[in-house]
Amino acid sequence: MSEHLLEVTNLGVQFATYGGEVKAVRGVDFYVDKGETLAIVGESGCGKSVTVQSLMGLIPMPPGKITSGSATLNGKEILGLPPKQANRFRGVEIGMIFQDPMTSLNPTMTIGDQISETLMVHRGFSYREAFTRSIELLERTRIPEASRRAKQYPFEFSGGMLQRAMIAQSLACNPAILIADEPTTALDVTIQAQILELMAELQRTEEMSIILITHDLAVVARMADRVAVMYAGQIVETGTVDEIFYESAHPYTVGLKEAMPSNRVSRDKALMPILGSPPDLFSPPKGCGYYARCPHAMKVCKHNLPPSFPISDTEHVARCWLQHEDAPKSDHITQAGR
Amino acid sequence: MLYYILKRLAAGVITVWFIATATFIAMHSVPGDPLMNDKAVSAEIRKNLERKYGLDRPVHEQYFLFLGNMLKGDFGISFTQQNRKVNDIIRDHFPVSATLGVLAILIASTGGVLWGALTAIYRNRLPDIIIMFLVILGISVPSFVFAALGQLLLVNINKLVGYSLIPVAGWGTIWHMLMPSLVLGLGTMALLTRLMRSSMLEVVNEDYIKTARAKGLSPTRIFFRHQLRNAILPVVTVLGPQIAAITTGGFVVELVFAIPGLGRYFVQAVQQLDYTVIMGTTVFYGAFLVFMVIVVDILYGFIDPRVRLQ
Ligand SMILES: Nc1ncnc2c1ncn2[C@@H]1O[C@H](COP(=O)(O)OP(=O)(O)O)[C@@H](O)[C@H]1O
Ligand code: SF4
Ligand SMILES: [Mg+2]
Repeated sequence: MSEHLLEVTNLGVQFATYGGEVKAVRGVDFYVDKGETLAIVGESGCGKSVTVQSLMGLIPMPPGKITSGSATLNGKEILGLPPKQANRFRGVEIGMIFQDPMTSLNPTMTIGDQISETLMVHRGFSYREAFTRSIELLERTRIPEASRRAKQYPFEFSGGMLQRAMIAQSLACNPAILIADEPTTALDVTIQAQILELMAELQRTEEMSIILITHDLAVVARMADRVAVMYAGQIVETGTVDEIFYESAHPYTVGLKEAMPSNRVSRDKALMPILGSPPDLFSPPKGCGYYARCPHAMKVCKHNLPPSFPISDTEHVARCWLQHEDAPKSDHITQAGR
Repeated sequence: MLYYILKRLAAGVITVWFIATATFIAMHSVPGDPLMNDKAVSAEIRKNLERKYGLDRPVHEQYFLFLGNMLKGDFGISFTQQNRKVNDIIRDHFPVSATLGVLAILIASTGGVLWGALTAIYRNRLPDIIIMFLVILGISVPSFVFAALGQLLLVNINKLVGYSLIPVAGWGTIWHMLMPSLVLGLGTMALLTRLMRSSMLEVVNEDYIKTARAKGLSPTRIFFRHQLRNAILPVVTVLGPQIAAITTGGFVVELVFAIPGLGRYFVQAVQQLDYTVIMGTTVFYGAFLVFMVIVVDILYGFIDPRVRLQ
């Protein structure tokens, strides 16, 4: 039916807590095509991790619950499958790496054994075959002395090397998609650059798609083909990387851009962080989620959820009332007034 | 790993020396001496006895004599049992105590890990609630109560089948060993169960378990290959102190089940201020404990590469 590799529609996820239901993801739509990089960007707590974890069946249930939506991989539903069925695509067709490589590997197993495990389970390799292949994978992620390293334990690796090992592990079964949830956030700046470079290179050689989650627009600019900007559990703007950067249509996107350190044109133009904080997801606002922080907020925004307005005849869309044909026209959206 | 073991062994030797010295000092600062217990002895006999046992020498000389003999593996002669060598007492009775203790530890640790894992799997459901109730009993009820209850149970079982299926007391066959080692291990098992449970619940939330799930491993595989081994680590760390607890608990259990272990001699010796037996058995027990703790440390090193390789 759908020609996209991965297609997510109307995904809703909430968590039951003592304080009530946290509506972490509220109707998210996106897709990923073969060989492209989709960046999901947004402040911390806006639901990026929950979105991708629910695709991978990693949401603890309870307290978590997928309340709506579907996700298809090659046309087949993957949302909310029991472990046995989920394991046909987890680690096989979709690989995943996480924010903190230091805690993401089993401390009592060698790196080689952990990579081998995937191959033995999914590919039916013997231990020996799997281990040899693990070494190749480590080499492919540019870990020096891979055959010696494969016999080492996570504590003997640096953070950057561990993230390389995580990438090697996730590539074991040649997945069609690699989900990287803030893969460089926990690493030093120089290491960050190396890991991103490695991912970009592997994407070309392995012809895989990447879903890259980040709160850093600099990372987006460098890696992404398309971008989904997420705020308060919703995608507020999506488009190609150029559209997002040069034709930003949502005040939140503009806010993120102005808060970007590398965006500072001169010394006298100060960084402009977005004031305030994201809304409480126990009782998310009825209207626009960004209303409380938006310098352009209008009366209509408070009580009416903005629909997705097409910005051009491409797929660039934004959930903002400013895009309505009756809205006051201004040349460009800023965080003006401050 | 070798360096790690050697380091432990060196520390062990120092610990044993420390135990020996502390025992010696304690012994000699208690009022009275072993010869006082007997009917009033004449001054002359007393002098002879003192000479025989070396009690007439200055304390520091006695100390070095004691250390020297100990190094040779000679703990001297009992004061109260006619000419019985302390070494003989240990040789005759320690294996019994050791068997009891080791069995108890084995039962306690396998039981603790098993029950702990089970309660974690059935968290907040009926099996968990029942086991955790029993755990509280196991931790708070002293072992002599379990000993008595255990005997009562055996008596009733035997009555039911009409013959002595499982002996109620004594020592010799594996059947004799069953109930006392279970009773002795019960408290420790309860403690380890509780520890294992919380450790399991902690490990489930670790990032690497999420990774394992994202890799597409089956829940069974994740449980055995990733969860269990990491969850056992904190349990192994308390095993050392628990072995000490089981050793002292053994004295009571040996008494109740009429087991000819070393415990009885030790208690007797303390009551009679039998210097050589007290010091001999204490140092020996101490050395045994230190050895067991080293065994536990090595075991830990095998499970946790971070310890083994640093
Ligand atoms: N296990 C959980 N229980 C309750 N709330 C959760 C849980 N996991 C995530 N959340 C909530 O979901 C929201 C989105 O979190 P997350 O997706 O991790 O944000 P981020 O965009 O930083 O990755 C947050 O408000 C968080 O508090
Ligand atoms: S809908 Fe209104 S409040 Fe929301 S971003 Fe647009 S202008 Fe701002
Ligand atoms: Mg996150």
